[in-house]
This record gives sequence, C-alpha cells and structure tokens, in this order.
Amino acid sequence: MDTILIDGRSIPFEPGENILQAALKADIQIPHFCYHAALGSLGACRLCAVEIKPKDSDKAAHVVMACLEPAQTGLEVSLSAKAAQQVRRHVIELLMVNHPHDCPICDEGGECHLQEMTVACGPSYRRYRGNKRTFPNQDLGPLIHHEMNRCITCYRCTRFYQDYALGNDFGAMRLRNEVYFGRFQDGPLENPFAGNLVEICPTGVFTDAVFRQHFARTWDLKTAPSICPHCSVGCNTLPGARDGTLRRVRNRKHQELNRWFICDRGQYGHQYSEHNTRPLSPRVSGTNTDYRSALAAAAREIQAAAERTGGIGSVREDLEGNVMLRSLLNDLKGIFTAFNDPELETATLTAVSRMQELDNTPHLAALEQTDAALITGDLTFHAPMIDLALRQAWRNGAKLAMLHSSAAQLTQFASTAATIAPRKMHDMLTQLYRQISRQSGANDAVTQTIKTIAATLSQARQPLMAGVVETSTAQDIIALAELAKALESTAQLIYVLPGPNAYGAALLSAAGETVTLLRAAERGEVQTLIVAGSDPLSEPRSGARWRAARQNINTLIVLDCIATATAEAADILIPVAAWPERSGTFVNYEGRAQGFSTVFHRPEYLPSTADIISEISHLLGNPLRDAASMLQDSFPGFQAPAPGTPGAHISAQHLPIQYSELIQTKSHSSNNGWQAALASWLGDDPLAGFSPALTKLAPPNAALINPESAVRASLKNGARVRLWNSVSSVETSIQINPSVANGTVAIQRSILARLGIGHGDSVNLEQLV
Amino acid sequence: MTDIDTLQKDLANLPPDHPDRRAAAVPAMLSLQSETGYLDDAAIEKIAEVTGLSSTEIEELATFYSLIYRRPTGRHIVQICDSVCCSMRGADQLLTAAEHYLGVSLGNLASENAPTVLPSICLGLCDKAPAALVDGEAAGPLSRTLLEALLKRLQTEE
Repeated sequence: MDTILIDGRSIPFEPGENILQAALKADIQIPHFCYHAALGSLGACRLCAVEIKPKDSDKAAHVVMACLEPAQTGLEVSLSAKAAQQVRRHVIELLMVNHPHDCPICDEGGECHLQEMTVACGPSYRRYRGNKRTFPNQDLGPLIHHEMNRCITCYRCTRFYQDYALGNDFGAMRLRNEVYFGRFQDGPLENPFAGNLVEICPTGVFTDAVFRQHFARTWDLKTAPSICPHCSVGCNTLPGARDGTLRRVRNRKHQELNRWFICDRGQYGHQYSEHNTRPLSPRVSGTNTDYRSALAAAAREIQAAAERTGGIGSVREDLEGNVMLRSLLNDLKGIFTAFNDPELETATLTAVSRMQELDNTPHLAALEQTDAALITGDLTFHAPMIDLALRQAWRNGAKLAMLHSSAAQLTQFASTAATIAPRKMHDMLTQLYRQISRQSGANDAVTQTIKTIAATLSQARQPLMAGVVETSTAQDIIALAELAKALESTAQLIYVLPGPNAYGAALLSAAGETVTLLRAAERGEVQTLIVAGSDPLSEPRSGARWRAARQNINTLIVLDCIATATAEAADILIPVAAWPERSGTFVNYEGRAQGFSTVFHRPEYLPSTADIISEISHLLGNPLRDAASMLQDSFPGFQAPAPGTPGAHISAQHLPIQYSELIQTKSHSSNNGWQAALASWLGDDPLAGFSPALTKLAPPNAALINPESAVRASLKNGARVRLWNSVSSVETSIQINPSVANGTVAIQRSILARLGIGHGDSVNLEQLV
Repeated sequence: MTDIDTLQKDLANLPPDHPDRRAAAVPAMLSLQSETGYLDDAAIEKIAEVTGLSSTEIEELATFYSLIYRRPTGRHIVQICDSVCCSMRGADQLLTAAEHYLGVSLGNLASENAPTVLPSICLGLCDKAPAALVDGEAAGPLSRTLLEALLKRLQTEE
C-alpha cells in the first residue's frame, strides 16, 4: 500500500485520501475544526496546517492545509515543523479574538473542541484588547439553544444542515467578520435531524436546550453504551445520567448504522423516563404498595387463572422480557403474543419472513450507495435515520420514487412521487410488478407514473424497495417483496418495523395468536391478562375491541415504564426500568441483535421485565430458568451481543412464509368513501410522546385532505368537521394538503385510536355547521 | 409593495441563459428594491415564493450582497470602503466622523432627508483611498472636511 511519512512515521493511505484523513486513520491527531468525516474538507478554518517536503527536491518545504492536500506516495509531512506550529497558533489566536471566553458558564465546557485545540495549539494569553464582536441570538425552538458569540465560522453547521440533512430553514447570513448562522426569523428548526448541530458544532454555539434545563458537566455524567428505543433502526446511543436521573442522550458511532448522527426523536425522546407521570411505585387496585405485595398479588391472580391467563409482550420490550413472558405463558398453557393488533402482527410477521427469504436487507451505510429506490409510505417519522441515509443516496445521484397516502417529507427529493389511497396501494404495486416482469396484463394503459418507476427500477444497478409495516397491509408487503424478486438478485428490501424490537418480537410469535387472545378476551375466557410494555387500550385499530374486552378481564397486570392508558387501567401495575436503567437486547430491522447496558440506577428500585417475570415464576412454584438460557432454547447458539459491539445477526429459523391468499383482511364497509391514513410526526412513538420538548413541536391535530377531495366535498381550509364511525366521533378542522391521497383523510394516531380504526380503514366525514 | 405578478413577469423577462429560478433571486431582489428602496421581511418572503427558494436562502443572499438593503435607506447612500488600503489611509476615522456628523450609528437614518452611510468591502478604488461610492459613483480621496461637505450637500439638496 502507498504510504506518506508524518514526522518520520510511515502512514498508509488509500487513493483519493488527503493528508488529514490518512493521519486521523492512523490516530495521528492533526488539529482541525472544519473537516468532518461526514462533511469532508472545506479549508475554512486553516487550523490543520502542516509542512510538506515535496519528493521533488528542488522545491522548498512549505505549509499546506492537511485537509486539502492529497496524500501522495513518499510525501514527507511534518506536524511538528516550526512554521506549521506557528500558523496553527496564529489561527487559534485569531479565532479567539471574538470568542467570549465564557467556558465556566458554557454548556460545551469540558467537551469543547475549541477548548481542546486552544490548549493544544494556541497562545495562553490574549493580546487583543479591543471590543469583541457581539450578536443577538435566535430562539431556535425547544431543542437547540443558540449562542452566536461563540462562533468560529467553521461552517460545519450549515454544511450539515443544508448539504447533508438537506434542510433549508437554516443558513449562513451576512459576510466578513459578521457571518451569522441562523434562521430567517426566530422559530423552531424544521429539519428532523437539527439536534445534530449540538454535536457538529466544535464549540458552544448550538447546545442541547433540554440538557440545559437539568445540566451536568460531561465529566460528572455516568454513561454506558445503549440502543435507541424509538424505532426499528437500532441506532447506537450513549445516554448520560447523574444523581439517578437521565440527563441526555448522544449518538454513539456504529460503523454500519447511525455513524456520526442521530435523529431528533432519538436525541430528545428520552424525556419519557423523567416524565412526572411515570409510574415508580407498584400499585394494586389503585393503592401504592411495595414490590413484594404487588408480585404476590400478581402471582395469586395468575395461579387462580392458570391456563385462563393471557400475555401480551411488546415490540418495544427487549428479547429477554418477551422470551420470559412467553415461557411463563407456555408453562401455564395460556396464550402469548408479542403484538396487540392482529393486523399489525400479520404485517410484521410477513415483513420479517420476506426479509429473511430475500436475505438482502442493507444497513444504513450500504443504503447510501443505492442508486434507485421505491419507497411506500413515510420513512421520515417511522425510521428517520433510514430517511437520512436515503438523502445521502439522493445526493449521490440516486433516483427516489415515492408512493404515499399522507404527507411524506422525502417526496421533495423524489424524481417520481404519487399519492395513493391506502387501499389502492396493493393495486398500484401489482401493476408495477406486471410492468417490471412484463407479465400478461402489462399494457400501454398503465399510467406514466408506473412506466417511469418501472423503468427507473429496472435500469438501476442495485434498486431498493422500502416499505413501512405500520401503514401497509400484509398484501402490500408481499407485493413489494415480489417486486424486489422480479428485479433480480441485486434488489434490496427494507421494511420499517413497528418498534425497536419488532423483529425479535416477530421471531418469538406464532402467527394468529393476537387474534386468538383478543377473541378469547372478548368471550370472557381470559381471567388474568399480563401486559408487558404494550398499550393495547390505545392501539388505533384494535384499541376499541380491547377496551370492550377489558370489562371481561378479571385482573389486568401491567408492566411498563410509562403511564399508558393500559397502565392507568391496570389492577396491578408493576413499574419496570426504562431502557437506560437496564440491560437487554433489541433486534433491529436487519435482524441484527444489539445489546445495551445499564447506564445508571434511579433511587427507586426498578427491576427489568425479565426480572419481574422470573420473580413471579418463583412465587408460582415453577421457577423459570434465566433469560439467557431461555433465549438459547429459542435461538440455538444465541449469545447476547455485548453492549458497545456492532451486534450480530440473530440466527433464527425462518418464519413460515404466508401467501396473500391465506391472509384475510376485513372487508371494508362502504360509506361516503373516505379512507383514514396515519399522519405521523417526530414525537409519534409511545415513548417520545412523553417528551415535552418534542410534544411542543406537534403539528395541529387536524384532518388533512387534498385540494381535489376538498373541492368535491365542498370543504374549505379550516372548516370544522366531524369524523365518525360506529365506535366514536371526533371533531376537528380541515387542513388542505396536496401530499394527501385522493379520498383520504390523514389524521394523527390519537384520533385513529379514539375512532378505533387503523391506516386504510373507512371513516365518515361531515361538515359541522 | 410590488404586485407579485409584476415580479413574476420580471422573472419571465430574465435572459434565457439563467440556469434556473434560483439564479433569478438576486435580479428579483434588485427589481423589488428599485421600487421600494429596501427589502423588508415581507419582501424576502415574496421573493422566496417567486423563486421557489426558502426565505432563509433568500436572506442568506440578501445579507451577503452589500448593494441589497434590508433596512430603510435615505434618499442618498454613501458607502465608505474600509478594506486594507482605505483603512490605512483613515477610513475608520471617516466612518466615525460620519456617525458624529449625522448623530446616528452607521446604517441608521437621522431624519427623512438624511443620507445613509455604510461601511463597504473593497470597492477597487485603492488609488483614491480612502474612497467611497456616492449613489453608485466613485468618490475619493476623502477627508473629514470633504466628507462632511458631501453629507451636508446630500442632506440639503432637493
């Protein structure tokens, strides 16, 4: 391999790398500000000055910027040369002329790149005695605190925000020594990745506004590797806690997943664990008690119910908790399911089985290399980091085709986009399939959209199919997989699953158990129901049925770390540790099992779900073995991956493949023709919904329809309407939005839950006078 | 406020070699400014709408170019160069003198008839340092006396 010499040390480099990249790879720290591995070189800060001696001996040694100078075989580089040191010293002195020197009161202090570089390269004293330049700050919303006086103009923030995350409401204003990074006017940053400004800024211009409310110095924080619990991507995180409270969550680099970044839901959703409604004391029949009494009461009720016990695990419960609950129910001969909605169970199991079958689900870093993608549904708020990876693919020239029922941010980068009503998605995918596989039925009558998408995908080197399970039927999921198969072996397939451990939950589930349990509960055959980390009573589609079935359940035992409607309704509520307070394993959308460790303990005693189930089994006189052995029974050879490692693909038997004919969907009653679609947003996740910083950014809870539908139904923007069905009725106002499909009304999860309907179900809409 | 239609018509009349609507941002700003004297927030939003850029992107351009004004200007505008040559020849003292003479800080208007005085990046008039642009015309070398006379003339002339 080619090498350069840095202060006498021989350093290998890849073709195309610059001196700084080669040095950093060899762990030689050349001081720098504006260079960032994700953003590349700019040459704005002038700090990475090094002296080079060209191979050509008649040229004199001179100072260059390491981030702009290509590495060349035999090049002699000196970091320690006097001339280079002097340049770096002057650069720091200049950058510090206007810097406020407010480190003692700055949130960045202790993890500030400028502080480190100044100590490493700069003069210890100021010579400049004049006035410093000052700026007014902006209110950038509940997530980011702005302190412009600290800026050193490295442009990392705009390069991340505009070039990498493709946001357009934040930029660089003015010129000369008055360059200002901010928005046109005060207001929350709109990009769902804005929180990364905190990390990307080498000093304290952008700091974490949530962390600031309950601040601790970085060296006082207790940290340990964890996994984000807010979606199925499984980004690696580093939560920081102090004095028994969780203070912040930062991204932790995973080479194949989130790398340097994290979405705002991941960074700010953690407030659920500090929410004032969080259950911290066990409760039996509405009275606070201790764990011993609560567990004894639970064991009594389970013993009394015996095989008339049911168990609901969760897509946001770890493998350990789910497997222990399943084992307990096995021993009792009761019914276990990891899902609370039959259709979601079918869709998730179908998606996992198809990903297992195709065995070509890319990680995020690979996703950036894709050259064409078909995306059904909204990725931005179901798996934000997959969206961010596709934004990089788009920057690299990938063509994105989008089929969506309600607003989806990624459409602004789509080369082809079409709004499709939820129940027409399958038909659309089938037509696409016929067009691509040139089957009979492919004809000239198909729309231009289908032709364009088919051509884009067929011509691609490595096309990607990406679907969102929560807003797809099992048929849509199968159709998307068939499309991938029709596109030959290079096609990649991703389904965004409905929770951080939905893949693991699917592996532990037997098809059809959710509907079996629900029907048994409705018939009064479930005497005691154990719910671990799930909220069946608020489930959009089947919540109404669960609420009715609740009347027939004698004892509802709930294990959770948030105050869900189901937890509120529990006869026996047993609080459990939140994710940073326990260790466990999640399986992400790729089937990658990743371990997370206990970061800290709260002052209250809070065991994990697996611990509680184990306790209960002891009280029942039939103790379960530990979760690790249980997992080995289910997944032969399973070793829980150590937290902080890249994780390992879980080796599991493939789920049985179900074919579309076998999957029953309920018939939709005809009405005045409206279909409901889920309108998701940044805080739309059971945990993040308890984060005040995110809920402040919630969009208005309106009914979104497109202009065409509005004209047909003679509805104006802002008109008051009633959405109703046989279950309930909700009043809201109309918002006209062209990104919603025809005949579709896009509403948030809370309204869907009140009506007891899911994405694609029928709903009546009438104007209020 | 100019009618949005006029602006869009301006956009339609732009030379065909403009690569896209993004390129129309600066001409659109200048066109609107020629009628209103400066661009207020509403104008920035209007231009964003016409060019399809975000208001932040328009603001980035508007605040970068020194011939686009984001605040009300006087009938006359004096831009005093404060780059290296002019600075060495006393531009800073000229700027202070202007502030003193007008009784307001740079960029602010003392009265309806008062001229606007602004510092400027290099005007390329180093041979006339310290130099200025007076309503777009080169002037220099200036002294405190000459500047005050100039400001007085601009203030009083009809």
